[in-house]
Amino acid sequence: MSTPTESDVPTESRGLLERIRASPFLSELLQSRIAVAGLVIIATMVAVAIYSRVQMLFLAAPEGGLTSLRALSEAVSAGPTPVTDSRLGAGVEDRAPPGWAGAAPLDQQLFGTDQQARDIYSRTLYGAWLALKWGTITVGLSTVAGVGLGIVAAYYGDVTDNVIMRTMDVLLAFPSLLLALALVAIFPEDLGLVRAVAALTLVYTPRFARVVRGAALKVLEDEYIDATVALGAADPRVLVRHILPNCLAPITVQSTLNFGLAIIDLAALSFLGFGAQAGTPSWGLMLSNGVEFGLLSGRWWMSFFPGLFLAVTVLGFNLLGDGMRDALDPRMREAID
Amino acid sequence: MVSKRFVAKRLLLLVPVLFGVATVVFAILHLAPGDPARLIAGQRASREQYRAVREALGLNQPLWRQYLDFLVNAVQFNFGRSYQPGGFGRPVREVIADTLPVTIELAVYGQLIGILIGIPLGILSAVKQDSLTDHATRIGALSGISVPIFWSGPLLILAVATPPLSLFPTSGRIGVGFTPGSDFTRHTGLVTVDTLLSGNLPAFVDAVQHLFLPSLVIGIYSTALISRMMRSSMLEVVRQDYVRTARAKGQGERITLMKHGFRNALIPVVTIIGIQFGTLLGGAVLTETVFGIGGIGTTLVAAISNQNYPVVQGTVLTFALLFTLVNLGVDVTYSYLDPRIDQ
Amino acid sequence: MDVDPLLEWARPRLRVLGTALAAGFALGVAATVVLPVVVGQTARVKTFAVGALLLGFGTLGWSGSAMAGRGIENAQRYMDTGSDWSEDDSRRAMTRVGSFGAGLMLAVPLVTAARG
Repeated sequence: MSTPTESDVPTESRGLLERIRASPFLSELLQSRIAVAGLVIIATMVAVAIYSRVQMLFLAAPEGGLTSLRALSEAVSAGPTPVTDSRLGAGVEDRAPPGWAGAAPLDQQLFGTDQQARDIYSRTLYGAWLALKWGTITVGLSTVAGVGLGIVAAYYGDVTDNVIMRTMDVLLAFPSLLLALALVAIFPEDLGLVRAVAALTLVYTPRFARVVRGAALKVLEDEYIDATVALGAADPRVLVRHILPNCLAPITVQSTLNFGLAIIDLAALSFLGFGAQAGTPSWGLMLSNGVEFGLLSGRWWMSFFPGLFLAVTVLGFNLLGDGMRDALDPRMREAID
Repeated sequence: MVSKRFVAKRLLLLVPVLFGVATVVFAILHLAPGDPARLIAGQRASREQYRAVREALGLNQPLWRQYLDFLVNAVQFNFGRSYQPGGFGRPVREVIADTLPVTIELAVYGQLIGILIGIPLGILSAVKQDSLTDHATRIGALSGISVPIFWSGPLLILAVATPPLSLFPTSGRIGVGFTPGSDFTRHTGLVTVDTLLSGNLPAFVDAVQHLFLPSLVIGIYSTALISRMMRSSMLEVVRQDYVRTARAKGQGERITLMKHGFRNALIPVVTIIGIQFGTLLGGAVLTETVFGIGGIGTTLVAAISNQNYPVVQGTVLTFALLFTLVNLGVDVTYSYLDPRIDQ
Repeated sequence: MDVDPLLEWARPRLRVLGTALAAGFALGVAATVVLPVVVGQTARVKTFAVGALLLGFGTLGWSGSAMAGRGIENAQRYMDTGSDWSEDDSRRAMTRVGSFGAGLMLAVPLVTAARG
């Protein structure tokens, strides 16, 4: 790849590059070994997730090959796949990973199989796709809700601020998994994983609201907002154009730290039976399978591999989040716990 | 110091707390999908049978009446009988009395491990800031909170509780050889305490062996949380002026930290331990599931999936009460640690 | 002017309580009249339940702030989180939430009784 010279780079993106280079947040972040380690782990997991998703799409592809992405993804969710359905009787046996007694040949079932002879290797890899996808949805939804509530609370102040933020405080006082369990009971069971996502979104929103409100208040203190208001800019414009860009850093840090938590909590809800539907290769469900069918029979691989991927992914987000928090402007750091 | 009035005021506040939780719990029952009467009577029940169940549940009453009845009963910790397909099961109060001590025992041992290891570790990390020890502790703690309990639990079982080692039992809280009631009397519901009180030493040893792994699993998690908090809290205190003054007077660095820092650093940590107790209860739910221990956590989980609402209501209210009481205890400890706070 | 000190104390509190109660009641009446037509009879139960949820939540928040108030204020002073949390604000906000819920709850049986 050739290095772009000055003239190659359009003015706008050069401005961006320079801004990145000049940003104390990013440069400090890249110097933090902890943060970089986290970034590497996350990037690897994203690659794994995309790889296994693409592989799944090809496996499910009808005779004619790739027709449309939508048809494919429907085929994936509808049809029997080696990842979701029992393989017993399909010529595949219940096996340990290569190198162990009763193991598969080296090129097959790298992580062994579960009690239904499903390949744990491909299930675990596909679990990365599910975890990242649903984690993104959960964190995304609570970020949007939290940003909205936080900015509105900061901008309007007084009664609005008090009612919103005190409500958030009360929600924050409850332990997250217990609150999620109580909330899960309100949603209909047939929602499956969506039920867990909805409950966790409600649980996480207060964290974002608090961070955003804190950051927004600091921005509002700066004079230029007053100037904009004096010039007669309408409320929504002030909020979006001026407050949001300045809150971006703390929002990002909170999202990153929360991403790890979301993945763990989603897996925990699936593990307890309130998340992914039976058969889905989600890490939480695989671990619950491992406890039910793997513990007494000594099939350690049923628990070990999905759990390892889960823990490493979460560690990646926690490392990056911790590094980010340290790199953050101390004024903004206060609000994040 | 802690005045009686302060404690009394806090205890009095339990009334609105419990009223609030009871009301929320009532709301959950009525917001939740599904018809409890249909659930109990069964899909094939006749119209008369269905109506009889509705009446037994009080669902034919006007809403405000249902609400008031519920409150009056909830105050007496009476949530009726648990649902069972085709009828009613045991009284919820009994179910809670049986399962609550199980969870408390787990949470207390786990918390103890966390405090005993986490606090020294956090101090060590802060004293040797940016050293290898510090980095190792921090990464260790970060890994500790990244590893889910439902992974560390099964791994521990597979490593030491299954053949070839089989050092510990894989599940339950006491061996089948010991029957509560005949081999030891039930005083508190905590097996380790009851067996000791009954003077049955083999049963006690057996109970400790059963509870060791689950407590350890919770303990690892709690250690990670507490050491992180202790470290940052300690560093915060060191930055404050009076420690700097003490250091300027020429005392050794480490003594300074210990003498002035420890007590003050402990204050936020005590608060956090109280708040974190709830997280620990969440962890206990998962631990009970992994180790097949029938505590109040697994009871709640089962009740939610079976739409057994009386049990959901009772357990949620119990959790809230427990959480509040722990924080009351924290408050008292807090005012003891920091006499500057006037009550 | 001789003002009763109790009245002095009660007036601002009653105003907060009353305004929210009235707002909740108004919304509750509207919901009880309109919603059953749109989504069926369960709407009344759900309206009442949402009211109960808010009332419970508000009470919980109110007593929680009173109970943990000092602790939180102090913890925040120690940890220097720079938030302007205060027990008073919190209790006032929770009174609003709670009485709004109570208003909702009140509306349901009253409307039901009035319409037979």
